[in-house]
Amino acid sequence: MEKEFKVPPVSFASVGNPAGQNLQNRRVPIPPFQPNSGIPFMSFDIGSAAVSTSSGPIYSGPGIGGGGSVNFDDEEPLLDELGIHPDQIWSKIRSVLNPFRVNHTVHKDSDLSGPILLYMAFCLFQLLAGKIQFGVILGWIVVSSIFLYVVFNMLAGRTGNLDLHTCTSVVGYSMLPVVIFSAISLFLPQGGFFGLAIAAVFVLWATRASTGLVVSLTDGGDEHRGLIAYACFLIYTLFSLLVIF
Amino acid sequence: MYNNVGSQPGVVQPPTNTQPNPFGSAFQVAGSGLIRGGLGAYGGKILGSSSEYVQSNISRYFSDPQYYFQVNDHYVKNKLKVVLFPFLHRGHWTRITEPVGGRLSYKPPIYDINAPDLYIPLMAFGTYVVLAGLSLGLHGKFSPEALNLLFIKGLLGWFMQAALLKVTLLSLGSGEAPLLDIIAYAGYTFTGICLAVIGRIISGYSYYFLMPWTCLCMGVFLVKTMKRVLFAEVRSYDSSKHHYLLLFIALVQFPLFIWLGNITINWLL
Repeated sequence: MEKEFKVPPVSFASVGNPAGQNLQNRRVPIPPFQPNSGIPFMSFDIGSAAVSTSSGPIYSGPGIGGGGSVNFDDEEPLLDELGIHPDQIWSKIRSVLNPFRVNHTVHKDSDLSGPILLYMAFCLFQLLAGKIQFGVILGWIVVSSIFLYVVFNMLAGRTGNLDLHTCTSVVGYSMLPVVIFSAISLFLPQGGFFGLAIAAVFVLWATRASTGLVVSLTDGGDEHRGLIAYACFLIYTLFSLLVIF
Repeated sequence: MYNNVGSQPGVVQPPTNTQPNPFGSAFQVAGSGLIRGGLGAYGGKILGSSSEYVQSNISRYFSDPQYYFQVNDHYVKNKLKVVLFPFLHRGHWTRITEPVGGRLSYKPPIYDINAPDLYIPLMAFGTYVVLAGLSLGLHGKFSPEALNLLFIKGLLGWFMQAALLKVTLLSLGSGEAPLLDIIAYAGYTFTGICLAVIGRIISGYSYYFLMPWTCLCMGVFLVKTMKRVLFAEVRSYDSSKHHYLLLFIALVQFPLFIWLGNITINWLL
């Protein structure tokens, strides 16, 4: 016996399906093995649903428009969809590598995927040294970027425009010297004086890089350069403590 | 924060946060980016009804924190000299006042060496934590958990020092100094403690000389500062009670420094 449904049953093969409005509540897209079904209501716009890691608005939900159909060949590549641009990350890392002149133009749009990469590398080197500190390092990065954010904005006053995303990005990219130091310290005797001396060099490198980036990326930091440098120095000394001991 | 969840498909919802920043102008610089960006859709809903209440109360308890961060290199250097060697300070200890909009308010730290600031206490506290970690590591006892413990210990010490100053003010009849002032004065102890810890790291014996020295210096600094604060805030001048309390402040520095300067993994001493 057939039940009377208010909703007419959906048939995928037909074009211009009148049952479109019932399926608008579904969030699951139709699987792409019917490429040319031409279902009008179901265009899950993958481009706008990308979790963009750039400093654009990250709170836009999936926009559902009309027309178009999900085509496997039309999808964006995965990295673009996620907002990870390897060449940008590489150029930013290379800019931090030079301790004497930091090229701050490549850091104009901040992203967090480079810092995540550096964080994983740092944790990996610590793991090779026998210290399992994934959570500790992540927590300390978060706390120290909030600290730098508060200190910078308070010092710079009304003219300061550092936002948390840029701050975390700068702190993360300037961790590169510490990561290199943790790689080097795998081959050094533990806790010796030599380790402390080398640590000082890398910490000063990281401080110089991060201060240069912060001051050149924002407005109000110029006259407080030394004060901000001290805050960055504290942050990277903390991380180098993790490496040495 | 997905604005479009549950809404009509294809309609973009405008951001709903039209409330003024709930913490007032004081936090506008630091908080505006985070609050407006992060709490955008929810800030208005959660804090909307109580925003005026919160705003008035917060500004009653926390005077504008922006004031305490108006520092520059010159101020920091000279203030450190004043805090660490207070007897070398030849000038007076009173804060310079200026009439602003009918009320008397103090000049910001850039213009006045006697004004308290929050940058030095914050940095001194951070330096204390880092140096304590270094000292632990040199004795082979470093671990991230131990560092967290030292952080909490330092915060507790800061809180106790601030409570001491506040209780002193209250017991003399008026505790009307701004809370952030008290927190700033209390935080200056960390500069002395950092000096003592540096001494301990460099040579074990110099600690037993540096520690009472910085203790004494901090005591002198606090006594002179609190004398001025009391003079400005308290109406009736009860001489002997004042002096006993100031002496008490100076004496209590010793146990506090011993407790904070002795860097070990356990809570007490």
